[in-house]
Amino acid sequence: MANGFVGKILRIDLTARTTSIIETAKYESWGGGHGIGSAIFFDLVKDKKIKAFDPANVVTIMSSPLSGTAVPACSGRTEVQGIGAQSYPIEWFTRSNFGGRFGAHMKYAGWDGIVLEGKADKPVWLNIVNDKVVFQDAKDLWGKDTYETQKDIWAQVIGEQMDTWHSATSNRDGGRTTQRPAVLTIGPAGENLSRIASLIHDAGNGAGQGGFGGVWGSKNLKAISVLGTGSVELADPKALADARLWLARNYQYNVDDPAVVTPLGGATGVTVSEFGQGAVPLFTRQPGFGPELTTPVLEPSRPQGCLGCHQNCRIKTQSGQGNESQCVDGLFSSFNTVATGDELLKATDLFQRMGVNAFEFVGLMGYLVALNKMGVLGKGKKIHTDIDIANYNSYATRKALIEGIAYRKDIGKDLAEGTVRAMEKWGRLADLNTGIARFPNWGYAQHYDPRIEVEWGYGSILGERDINEHDINWAVFWQPLAAFCIGEEPAYSAKKLSEIFAEKLIPYNDPKMIDYSPEGIYSDAKVKMIAWHRHYTRFYKQSLGFCDWAYANFINPSSKDGKGYTPEAEPKFHQAVTGTKMSFLDGLEQGRKIWNLDRAIWALQGRHRDMEVFAGYVYDLDTAVPYMLPILKDGVWSYDPCQGRRLDRAKFEDWKTRYFKFEGWDIKSGWPTQETLSKLGLDNVAAELKSAGKLGS
Amino acid sequence: MSEMVKTDYSRRQFIAGMGGLGIGAILTGAIGGTLLRPDRAMAIPASKGYIVVDTKKCSGCYSCELMCSLVHEGKENLNLSRIQVINDSFAGFPNDLMQFQCRQCPSPACVQACPTGAMHVDTENGNIRTVDASKCIGCERCINACPFTPSRVQWNNEAKHAQKCDLCQVTPFWSEKGGFEGKQACVEVCPNKAVALTHTIPSQTGDGGYQLNMRTEKGWAKLGFPIDDAGLVIGDNSLPMTKGAEPSHPAGKTGYFTKP
Repeated sequence: MANGFVGKILRIDLTARTTSIIETAKYESWGGGHGIGSAIFFDLVKDKKIKAFDPANVVTIMSSPLSGTAVPACSGRTEVQGIGAQSYPIEWFTRSNFGGRFGAHMKYAGWDGIVLEGKADKPVWLNIVNDKVVFQDAKDLWGKDTYETQKDIWAQVIGEQMDTWHSATSNRDGGRTTQRPAVLTIGPAGENLSRIASLIHDAGNGAGQGGFGGVWGSKNLKAISVLGTGSVELADPKALADARLWLARNYQYNVDDPAVVTPLGGATGVTVSEFGQGAVPLFTRQPGFGPELTTPVLEPSRPQGCLGCHQNCRIKTQSGQGNESQCVDGLFSSFNTVATGDELLKATDLFQRMGVNAFEFVGLMGYLVALNKMGVLGKGKKIHTDIDIANYNSYATRKALIEGIAYRKDIGKDLAEGTVRAMEKWGRLADLNTGIARFPNWGYAQHYDPRIEVEWGYGSILGERDINEHDINWAVFWQPLAAFCIGEEPAYSAKKLSEIFAEKLIPYNDPKMIDYSPEGIYSDAKVKMIAWHRHYTRFYKQSLGFCDWAYANFINPSSKDGKGYTPEAEPKFHQAVTGTKMSFLDGLEQGRKIWNLDRAIWALQGRHRDMEVFAGYVYDLDTAVPYMLPILKDGVWSYDPCQGRRLDRAKFEDWKTRYFKFEGWDIKSGWPTQETLSKLGLDNVAAELKSAGKLGS
Repeated sequence: MSEMVKTDYSRRQFIAGMGGLGIGAILTGAIGGTLLRPDRAMAIPASKGYIVVDTKKCSGCYSCELMCSLVHEGKENLNLSRIQVINDSFAGFPNDLMQFQCRQCPSPACVQACPTGAMHVDTENGNIRTVDASKCIGCERCINACPFTPSRVQWNNEAKHAQKCDLCQVTPFWSEKGGFEGKQACVEVCPNKAVALTHTIPSQTGDGGYQLNMRTEKGWAKLGFPIDDAGLVIGDNSLPMTKGAEPSHPAGKTGYFTKP
C-alpha cells in the first residue's frame, strides 16, 4: 500500500560492520519518527540502564511517512533518539530533531530510518547511495570540522562538478540526481566525547540537545552520507497537492503583499536596545524570521528553508557566514552586544563547525561571567582559566570557549561535560539554588521561565530534557511581548487568545488552559494543557515531523480571521499521505501511547516522581523581569508581566499528583500502570516494567 | 574516485545538424525557428508560455520540485521534477543557489534531436515542447541535445521515458487546470513567489530573459532582503507605516500590525 513509508529501516552494526534490514511494517502502527524510534529502542536495548557511551546504546535516526513529500514545514525533519549523554544526573533516553533534507534523502534512498548499534574499531563514515551501503575509513575526516567534512564527502560521492546530473549507478535506470548528498556529521566536540556535542547537517541544521555528537564519537562514527534517487509513494497525491495549496493560499505569509508587515530595526540590524523589534517577526512568521532575534539582517541575504517548507525562516548571507543558523545559534553572541556583525556570524558558525550545542551557552555564558565577577573564575583564581572571560564581548573569548570545549582545552575540559557536571566538579552545585546558574531541569539550560511559563517547565521536568516546543509559547509569550516591547497593544487581546485556544485545544476546549495566573498554573485546566501538549508533540511533531516552528498553529496573522491551521491541517496532510483515516484526536491518542512508552523507559532507567523537582531557584527566587503572559483574574483576561513569581513546592507536587491521575499513572512513583498500558496496547511494556519492579499500581 | 557516475551533457554532444542554432538564437514572433533535421526542415511555432524565475528570491526549499513530481507522477521524487534547484549550504548569497527550468526554447534542440517525434511541439496546447511517452524509445538524444547544464530534459528511470516541463499541461494528480492558459504547480506553491509564468518570449541571450527580478519594495524589501538586480543592497526594512493607522486586518489593533 502506498502510504508514505518506503518499507525498510537500515540496521547498522558498527562493531561487526554489517547491515541488516528491519521491515518498517513491523513498526508502522507507531506512526513514524519518534514513535518508531522509541519502539525499536525498547525492543533492541535489553538493559535500559546502560550509559550513553556504552556500545550497546542504540541510536535511531527516523523519518516519517510525511518526510520527503510536499507536506509543508514537515518534509525535511529527522528525529534522533537513544540514550543521551547530556542529561544530569541520569543519562536519560532522549530525543533530538533537526531540519534540512536528510530524512527525505534517506527515504529517496529507500530507508525510513537508520538504526545504529555497536562501536567501530576505528573511525568510519557511512556512504549510502540508494540500497548500497559502504563503511568507509574516516581517518582523513577525523579532526575536520563539520563543514569541511561535508564538503569532502560531497566531492567523494558525486565528484567536483556539482551542477549537473549524476547517475546513481552505471545503469541509467538506477536514477539520476542533481543533488548533493545529505550528510549528518559530528565535529571535533563529538570526536572528543563532549556531552554537549551536536550532530550537524548542511550549514545550520543541528540535533543539539541530548549530546548525540558525543554518542557518535563514542561509536567512532564520523558521518552518515545519504543520497537517493527513488520515489515516495503516496495514498492520495491529488489530496496532498490540494492540501498544500490550501495552506499556502489561506495561511502563508504573502511576500509581495503581506497582510502584516513588521517594525523591524533599520538596515543596520537589531541591537540589544531594539530587542523588541527583533522579536516581532516571531509573531508574523515572515521568511527569514528565525535569526531576526539574534542575528538580524547584517548582509545582503536571502531566506532559506528546509525541504518543503512554506515559511523559510532562516537566511543565507553574502559572506556565507551564519548560513541557515538561527535563534540560539547566535543568541549568546548577540545578547552580549556584539562588536561587529561579522564577529557575530563567525561565532555562530563556530558552534556549527565544532559541533557544539549552542543552546548550552544560553545558560553557560552568563554563569561564567557571574563567576568571573565574583572573583571565583579567572586567571589565577580558584577556577583557573587563561580565557579572558571578562572580555566576553570579544570574538576571541567566544572562540576560545567554543574551541576549548570542542578540544577539551582550559576550562573547556570541564565544560565539555556540560555546565552542571562542571559545576559538580567545581563544588558549586549550590549555584543552582541561588539562580546564579539557571539549569532548572535535568542539567539543561533554562529556556523559558519554569516559574511562570509552566507548559514549558512542567513538560520538561516530566520529560527528560528542555522540551523546546514553541507552539503555545509563540502565541502566549512572544506575541504580547513583541508588542509591548515597542509600546503597542498586542494584536490579539488576552481574551481573544483564550477563545482561540479554547476552540482549537480539542477535546478539552477550556480557555483556562492558557491561564498563567498564580492560581492558574496549578489548576486542573493546566493538567489538561500539559497532557494535550505532551500528546500532541509526541505524535504530530516528533513522530510525523511537523516542525516546531510551524505547528501547532493557533494564531496566524496571515489568515483571514487571524486564526491558525491547527487542528485542521495535521490530519488533512496525514490522511493524504498515508490514507489512514485518523482524526486529530486519534493522533493525540497515539501521542499518549508514545508518551507512555517513553515514560516506561525512563522508569526502567530509574525515574521516580521524587526526582521530578526543579533546581532550587525555581522555588526560592522570585522572577524579576517582565514576562508577558495571559492571566485570568476576577473573571477578566489580561496580559500580566508576572513579576515576583516563584513556584510553590507543595502546590506543584499536588499538581503532579493530579496530572499523574489524569494520565493513569501511579501517583506515588509516577510510573505507568498495568491498566493504562493495557488500554494502550502496551502489555509487553507492562511486563518488562513488572519484572523490573517498576510497574505502577 | 567518485561513487556516482557523472553524466555531463555538454554542448559538445549537441547534434551536428543543429548548426549555429542553440542557446544564442534570438527568435520572436509566431514562428520560433526553423530547424534542420537530417532528413527535413521544419518550422516550429513559439511556445505560448514560459517559466521564469528569480533566483535571488528563491529560498531553496524545493517545494517547486516536490509539487512538480507530485502532480505529474503522483509520487515524491526530486529527481523526477521538471524544475531543478541546486543549493550549496555553505556558499554566499547569491551564488549559493541555482534554479534550472526548461526554457521552452524557440529553437528546441530536444525536439529536433528526437528521431521518433516523441519529443514534440504540442500545437493544440500552446506549442509547449513536451514528450509523448508512448513514442519515446529511450535513446536519450533529446537529453543530450539540450544545450543547458543540467539538461532540462531528463530520463524518468521509473516510467522509462524522457520527460520535461509541460507547463503542467498533463497533471493527472492535480485537481486544478494546468497548461499555458492554466496554472503551474511550481508557480502556485512557491512560498516566495520566485517562479512565474509569462506569455512573452524571454530574451534568448544568456539567462537574463529567464531570470527576472520579482522582488518588491512593498514586500521583499520590508523583510530586509535586497531588491536591486544585483542583490547587493540590504532592503529598507525601517518602520513601514504610520503608527496608529487604521487596522485592516482582524488580527491588527494598531498601526504596526496592519496592512500597509
